[in-house]
Amino acid sequence: MNDLWHVTASSLLFRGVHCRYGRHTAVHAVDLDVPAGLRVALIGTNGSGKSTLLRAVLGFQPIADGVVEVGGVRAGNAAQWRRRRAEVAWIPQLRSAGRFPLLLGELLDSSGHGEAARAAAERLGLAGVESRGVHTLSGGQAQRAWLARAVGAVAAGAGVLLADEPTAALDFAGQEEAAAVIAALPVTVLVATHDRAVADACDRVVEMAAGRLRDVA
Amino acid sequence: MIAELLALVPVQRAGLGLLLGAVALPPVGVLVVGLDIYPVRFAIMHVALLGSAIGLLTGTDPLLWALALCALAGGGLAPFATTSAGLSGAMGLLMSLAIAVALLVLSISGVNANGAFELLWGSILSTRPVDLVVLGVLAVAIPALFWWRRGDLALLLHDRELAACSGVRTGPLTAALLVVIAVSIAAAIKLTGALLVDALTLLPALAARRIGRGLTGMVVASVGIGLVVAVGGLLLALALDQPPGPVLVLLAGVIALLAQLSPMRRT
Repeated sequence: MNDLWHVTASSLLFRGVHCRYGRHTAVHAVDLDVPAGLRVALIGTNGSGKSTLLRAVLGFQPIADGVVEVGGVRAGNAAQWRRRRAEVAWIPQLRSAGRFPLLLGELLDSSGHGEAARAAAERLGLAGVESRGVHTLSGGQAQRAWLARAVGAVAAGAGVLLADEPTAALDFAGQEEAAAVIAALPVTVLVATHDRAVADACDRVVEMAAGRLRDVA
Repeated sequence: MIAELLALVPVQRAGLGLLLGAVALPPVGVLVVGLDIYPVRFAIMHVALLGSAIGLLTGTDPLLWALALCALAGGGLAPFATTSAGLSGAMGLLMSLAIAVALLVLSISGVNANGAFELLWGSILSTRPVDLVVLGVLAVAIPALFWWRRGDLALLLHDRELAACSGVRTGPLTAALLVVIAVSIAAAIKLTGALLVDALTLLPALAARRIGRGLTGMVVASVGIGLVVAVGGLLLALALDQPPGPVLVLLAGVIALLAQLSPMRRT
């Protein structure tokens, strides 16, 4: 697998970041430096702002105030956001499987490095199901598929992995397997998780509570 | 008797129009399903009515006005397409404004409103060469668009954020799709009438959703169903000596219902 990596990990920086839903402030004055190559686990109760913070990195959640940089670069216009999204491998929180049929093979190929993603999918127990619709996969299979896609995105050059509860639908063995895959990726990692195995595999643990961030370990 | 009818030029034009429509329009239904913008037909229907009213007022071709206004409306909706909820609201507003302006135009011009409202019913047998040209262009352009951008479209229709993460320019692509949808629906209205426009757009797509696998499979299946509906519906209408529009819709509806009752593919 490592033959595929020609990747340079990128740093991740949040400075005074606020995100709001109407009058509700979901993320409040978050400051966080994640040096290149560090793995950080983001823990916290449901609704504490973890997903919002991750989505803000990709521009899916507007930033009301503050700055987010990846590799020292801010994103402003459409071209800069496209570069940002190519720089970040993304595992979204498990949700309803899209509104339209998509084949697993198409999901894996969308990573930018279909070969690496398909190899990862095979290792994660998804061999031979590339022609199945993503909507027909179980929750655990879908999470493995997204993890495999993230491996492909890293192989394609992403220097950061953002993962939002990537093991929530996995069994115990799957959780450890996923944690091992994430730990093996030669990139900067910011992962929102409730999973001890994933948090233990990280270098640093920070906690969000009511939109604010504090160090735990 | 059918052979005699098929020898008539208006019937031949109608048949050709339906065949072209069966290639162009079901993939548009796939887009409507994928973008989850079912109300778009009603919004565009009203805009087309406004175009027809302007055509009557100015003494120019109502279809061309309808196509032009629908293209503008489709492009105008694009900024609201970040969420389907945003699009639904914008389409509701567009629908209300378009019909209000259309009624004002008709009132101010003193034109008989029946001319504009004929658009609601359509008239396959009055298909003109210019209608065939429009449908022919769409029958080439829409499948070509699907083939050219099939990867991007599959991602965008599945999940906008996944598409954005995969390097797809979601904004321009969505705008282009909305223009294609709007123009196609305006062209389809001529064939089946606004009230029956689903026969060649949405119903084949809904049936194909149960049959096809992935975007390409759905598009191919929807065109196949569209061809069955177009050919079968026209022949059935001629045989029964009934208006083609309702027969087409009923046939498409039966196929969609049968597909709905069939077990969904899992692989």
